[in-house]
Amino acid sequence: MNRILKLILAANLLVLAVLAFVYPDLMVGPGKLIPGHQKLATDCFACHAPFGGATSGRCTTCHKPEEVGRLTTAGQPIAKPLASTPFHQKLIKDDCVACHSDHAGVKRFRQEGRFNHALLQADSRQQCQTCHRSPADSLHQQITGNCNQCHSQEKWTPATFDHDKHFLLDRDHNAKCATCHVRNDYSRYTCYGCHEHTPEKIRREHIEEGIRDFTNCVECHRSGDEHDIRMPGGEGRRGKKHDD
Amino acid sequence: MASSTSISASLWRQHILPFTLLVGLLAAATLAGDYLLHRLDLAWVGRYLGIPGTLLIIGSLVYSLRKRKVIAAGNPKNLLSLHEAAAWLGSLFVLIHAGIHFNAILPWLATVAMGINVISGMVGKMLLGRSRQHVQEQREHYQLRGLSRSEIEQAVFWDAVTLDAMTQWRKVHIPIFAVFAVLSLGHILGIFLFWGWR
Repeated sequence: MNRILKLILAANLLVLAVLAFVYPDLMVGPGKLIPGHQKLATDCFACHAPFGGATSGRCTTCHKPEEVGRLTTAGQPIAKPLASTPFHQKLIKDDCVACHSDHAGVKRFRQEGRFNHALLQADSRQQCQTCHRSPADSLHQQITGNCNQCHSQEKWTPATFDHDKHFLLDRDHNAKCATCHVRNDYSRYTCYGCHEHTPEKIRREHIEEGIRDFTNCVECHRSGDEHDIRMPGGEGRRGKKHDD
Repeated sequence: MASSTSISASLWRQHILPFTLLVGLLAAATLAGDYLLHRLDLAWVGRYLGIPGTLLIIGSLVYSLRKRKVIAAGNPKNLLSLHEAAAWLGSLFVLIHAGIHFNAILPWLATVAMGINVISGMVGKMLLGRSRQHVQEQREHYQLRGLSRSEIEQAVFWDAVTLDAMTQWRKVHIPIFAVFAVLSLGHILGIFLFWGWR
């Protein structure tokens, strides 16, 4: 490499080094900052600790944990909060970067609006409806109680609940939830909610078969098919199949 | 003139086309790797591919040290093969790492410098030697046919021009590597300075 070429290269690299210090947001920053942090674009160390990355301690200098979701950093009430209930106060620790990323290039790798529910305190974790609204469809409008009954906290869909595992909802059992789950209590059910299965009729049929314990219907009947009977502990242990 | 055109066509077909295909393969492998990582929801892996890519490129420099007699151990021919393979694979990792996302300028300048470095290296490996031999063979061929010196030079004119351009391109390899190294170092320092490793 001749001397002139070396000098040209060194001069170019020097210019780039100077540019990196003058315009760090353009030269080394991974994309634009979110609009609220535009003023910090050239002040990397406002959020980043040298050799430590963005730290929650620096976030909370401006964003007081007790005020997040309630007041702006200027102390003004937030006109349109993103969540119906401020939940940052219910977090087990201040770990801002677990959910938030400010640079466009980093945000690209994160799914917006998703956070780990394990960061919530245990009691808040069960209060889904303080942050989430129940879907407006007819099924969900019938349901009260905790979403955990049918959905995981990692993903809303697919729902973790498979009704067919407990009882197959065939065309003869295409009923409203409350027909079997009285008062939307999904920890219990009854088969006596329709005219077909009256307590007297069920009792008589089972006694005829020599079956005396018939309080928990789905223990043996997993569908409306009267021949699909699964006796606990093996077929025929507590009686024979219906053959009427 | 017709003869000269057919010789140039031969040079393209036998040397420049395979070279272009190998460069194209690097580009295609980069796009395929990037696509697969996104498709498999593994885009985050691309963030860390810069590390093995850099290590491979650094590893490939053993040949350069051997060539300049900084180290004495190792068969230069084997080390050259290692240099070519490790630099190609390392560049592939770095290109996938860069993705198709344009953010900071410094790492992109480093990526461009690396691209020029890879191409200049491949020119040296695939084209220069064979093209030089090709032009020499053509000269000898015309000499045997009894053409005068000026007629021979006229006949191989375009091949000679191409060869000369390649020689110049080859000279880019070392200076552009210095630029690539400094820019990459700037990028790596920036990452260590600002990134939170968790």
